[in-house]
Amino acid sequence: MAALVSVRACLSALQLTSPSLLHSSFKLCAVPLSRRNFAAEAKKVFARDKPHLNIGTIGHVDHGKTTLTAAITKVLAEAGGANYKSYEDIDNAPEEKARGITINASHVEYTTANRHYAHTDCPGHADYVKNMITGTAQMDGCILVVAATDGQMPQTREHLLLARQIGVQHVVVYINKADAVDDKEMLDLVELEIRELLTEFGYDGENTPVVVGSALCALENKKPELGVNSIMKLLEVIDGHIPLPSRDLDKPFLMPVDGVYSIPGRGTVVSGTLERGVIKKGDECEFLGHNRCFKSIITGIEMFHKSLDRAEAGDNMGALIRGLKREDVRRGMVMIKPGSIQPHQKIRAQVYILSKEEGGRHKPFFTNFTPIMFSLTWDMACIVELLPGKEMVMPGEDTAVNLILRQPMALDKGQRFTLRDGNQTIGTGLVTDILTITKDDKYTWGEK
Amino acid sequence: MAMYSLFRSVRSEVVKGCLTQHVQSLFTSCPSLAADKALLLQLRKSTGYTFVNCKKALEKCNNDITQAESWLHEQAKKEGWSKATKLEGRKAKEGLIGLMMHDNAAVMVEVNCETDFVARNEKFQQLVKDVALSVMAHQSTSKKTGFIKSVLSSEDMSKLNAPDGPSLADQLALTIGRLGENIAMRRAVSLSVPSDWHIGSYIHGTVAGQVGIEMGRYGSLVVFQGEPKEGTYALGRKLAQHVMGEAPVSLGNMDDLSCGDSETRLLPQTFLPDPKYTVAQYLTLQDARVLDFIRFQCGESSSQE
Repeated sequence: MAALVSVRACLSALQLTSPSLLHSSFKLCAVPLSRRNFAAEAKKVFARDKPHLNIGTIGHVDHGKTTLTAAITKVLAEAGGANYKSYEDIDNAPEEKARGITINASHVEYTTANRHYAHTDCPGHADYVKNMITGTAQMDGCILVVAATDGQMPQTREHLLLARQIGVQHVVVYINKADAVDDKEMLDLVELEIRELLTEFGYDGENTPVVVGSALCALENKKPELGVNSIMKLLEVIDGHIPLPSRDLDKPFLMPVDGVYSIPGRGTVVSGTLERGVIKKGDECEFLGHNRCFKSIITGIEMFHKSLDRAEAGDNMGALIRGLKREDVRRGMVMIKPGSIQPHQKIRAQVYILSKEEGGRHKPFFTNFTPIMFSLTWDMACIVELLPGKEMVMPGEDTAVNLILRQPMALDKGQRFTLRDGNQTIGTGLVTDILTITKDDKYTWGEK
Repeated sequence: MAMYSLFRSVRSEVVKGCLTQHVQSLFTSCPSLAADKALLLQLRKSTGYTFVNCKKALEKCNNDITQAESWLHEQAKKEGWSKATKLEGRKAKEGLIGLMMHDNAAVMVEVNCETDFVARNEKFQQLVKDVALSVMAHQSTSKKTGFIKSVLSSEDMSKLNAPDGPSLADQLALTIGRLGENIAMRRAVSLSVPSDWHIGSYIHGTVAGQVGIEMGRYGSLVVFQGEPKEGTYALGRKLAQHVMGEAPVSLGNMDDLSCGDSETRLLPQTFLPDPKYTVAQYLTLQDARVLDFIRFQCGESSSQE
C-alpha cells in the first residue's frame, strides 16, 4: 500500500512540474517505477527497431547544405519520420560556431522506411579530424551537395578531400538549385564534372548515384518533380547505396581483462566487459599482453551470479577458463578469439592533443616525449616519435605520430587510446597502422 | 621575383595541357554535345568561374572565348566587391600566418577566413603570398637603415598594391568572390635589421603550397645579436620555436629569476628545446643577446576583441 501511495505522489508531482523539469524528474523516477513494474506509464522511449547510420552533408558554402537538411526533415515529417527543422533551427549561428571541447555540429535525426539516421553538418576540417580521432561523431556516408548553377567550387574539393581522409567510403551526390537552371544540358555538364571530380579523389565516379533537384522547391512546396520527389529519391538512394557498417556483434570477440579471481573448487575466473563479438560456452580463447600469450577454453560464462550460454558485446561478464592459474593472467591482458589480434610494440597513430582550455598541457612537446598510453584496460609507457617535417606538437593540434611501447600490448587498427603525463590527460588517439619494431627502436628503451 | 613569374607561367602551361586533354575526353564520351558546350566546359575549366556566369559570358561575346574570359574577370571583380560588402560583418578567425625572409629583413602577415577549409585553398594561399610580397615591397621602398620594426593594420595594408598591379583591396575582394567567405587582412609586421644583427624565424603547422613563403597557424620572429657557436640559423630557429611554444609576453632581464611555469618574461623562462637551461643561461652559453621578438597566433587577435 505504502508503495502505491508513493508512486501516486510521484506521478502527481510529474504533472505539476514544468516541461523543462519533466525530463529530469522522469530520470529520478525511472528506477523506483520500473522496480514496481510501472515502467509502461513512464516516458516515450527510443525504439531501436531500425538500423542506425550516421550521415553528413558536405559541399561549398551557399550550395544549400542546410536547406537540403531542412528539406529532408520537412519531407519526412509529413511521413512521420522526423520533426521538421527550419533552416534557422539548424543554422543557429553564431553560438554554433563557438567551439568547446566537443563539436557543436548541428545534429538532426530522421527515419526513413528502412533506417534511422543521425545527420551532421561539416563545421571545419580540423574539427572533423579531431572528431574522427576522439570518436565523437563518425560518418558512415555523406551527401555531396553541388549547386547546378555553380558546379564544383573550391570547398567542394576540400570537403571531398576531408571525406577521403577521415575514411568516408560512400558518397551520394545531390545537384541542388536545379530550378534555377533552365538548360537541361547544363545539368548534364555539372553531373559530368562531378563524376570526374569523384574519380579524381578515388571514389567510384561512374557509379555514384546523382540526384538532381531543388531543396528550396521542396521547402516551399513548389514543382514537386524537382522538390519533394527529388528528396524522396535522394533518401531512397541513400538507403540503397550506403551499406550498414559492420556491427560489433559480427566481429571476432575481444574482452579486456578487468580482474582475475580464483574460486575455490571451480577454478579461475576472468572478468571484464565484452568489447565486441559474441562468446559461447566451450569457445576457444587466447590471452595476450604483458609478454604472455597462451590459449585455453571458456568453460563457463556468468553474469550477475547467473550462468549463461552466450554473452554479447557490451555485457559485463566473468568467464571460467580451463586450467588457468590466478597468476597466469593479470589486468590489462585481453581475452580474444585466437589469432584475431597480435601484440604490437610500434604503431602509427593519429592523435589529438588537448588544448590548455580543454585541460591539457600548455607547452608543446618534441620527439622522445614519454607519456603513458592507456587503452582497453592496460597502460604502458611509450615514446613519441614525430614524423619528418614535424618538429613539435602544440596543444590543440592533431597530428600523425609513431609510438613505441615499452612492451608489446594488444593493439589493433582503429583502436582508441588516451595519452597521459603525470596527472594530466594530454590527448587521445587512434591507431592507424601497425609498424614493425627495429633494433634502433629497442635501443630507445635501453635494450640491445 | 623571377622565380615567381616562372612558376606562374609553368602553371598556366600545365593548365592548358589538362584542358586540351579534357576536351578530347569529352568528345569521345558525349559526342552529342554541341560545340558551344565544349567551349563552355573549356571556359569553366580554365577560369573556374561558375557555370551560370560562363554561360552568360559566352552568350554575351558570341562564343569568343578570349573576350568571354576578360568579361568574366571584370564580372568577378564586381561580384567580389558586392560579396565582400555582404560578408563584411562575419567572424573570421581561421586563416594563415605567412612569413617571408629576405636578407636582413622579414615580413610576417596574418590573413583570416571563416573556416579552415578555405585556408587550405590554393587561391587563399596565393592571396597570403601576395599580401606578404606587397608588404615586403612596401618596406624596401623606405630609405631608412638600421633597426626598423613597423606594424601595419588592416587599413594600412588595403592601401598597398599587389606585386602585379591591382591594389590589395581589389585582390582581396576577388578572392572573397571566388571562395564565398569573409576574408580579412588582420595585421602585418615588417622587420629590417643592421647587418650584424640576425632574425630567427619559425612557422608552426606549415602548409605546403607556395614557393618562397612559409605559411602556418603560428609564426614567430626573434631579433638577436652575437655570433653563436651553433650558428645563427640554428639558434634563431630554436629561439623562435621557444617563443612560439611558450608565448612570452615581455623580454625581462638577463638576471631575472624565474617564477615557475607561469613565467611570462622570455629570458627567465625554461628553454624549450633544451630544458636544462633558462633562455638567459642558454644565450650566455651561446654568446648571444635577444633584442626583440614577435609572435602571431592565427585568430588570437579577434578572440581578444
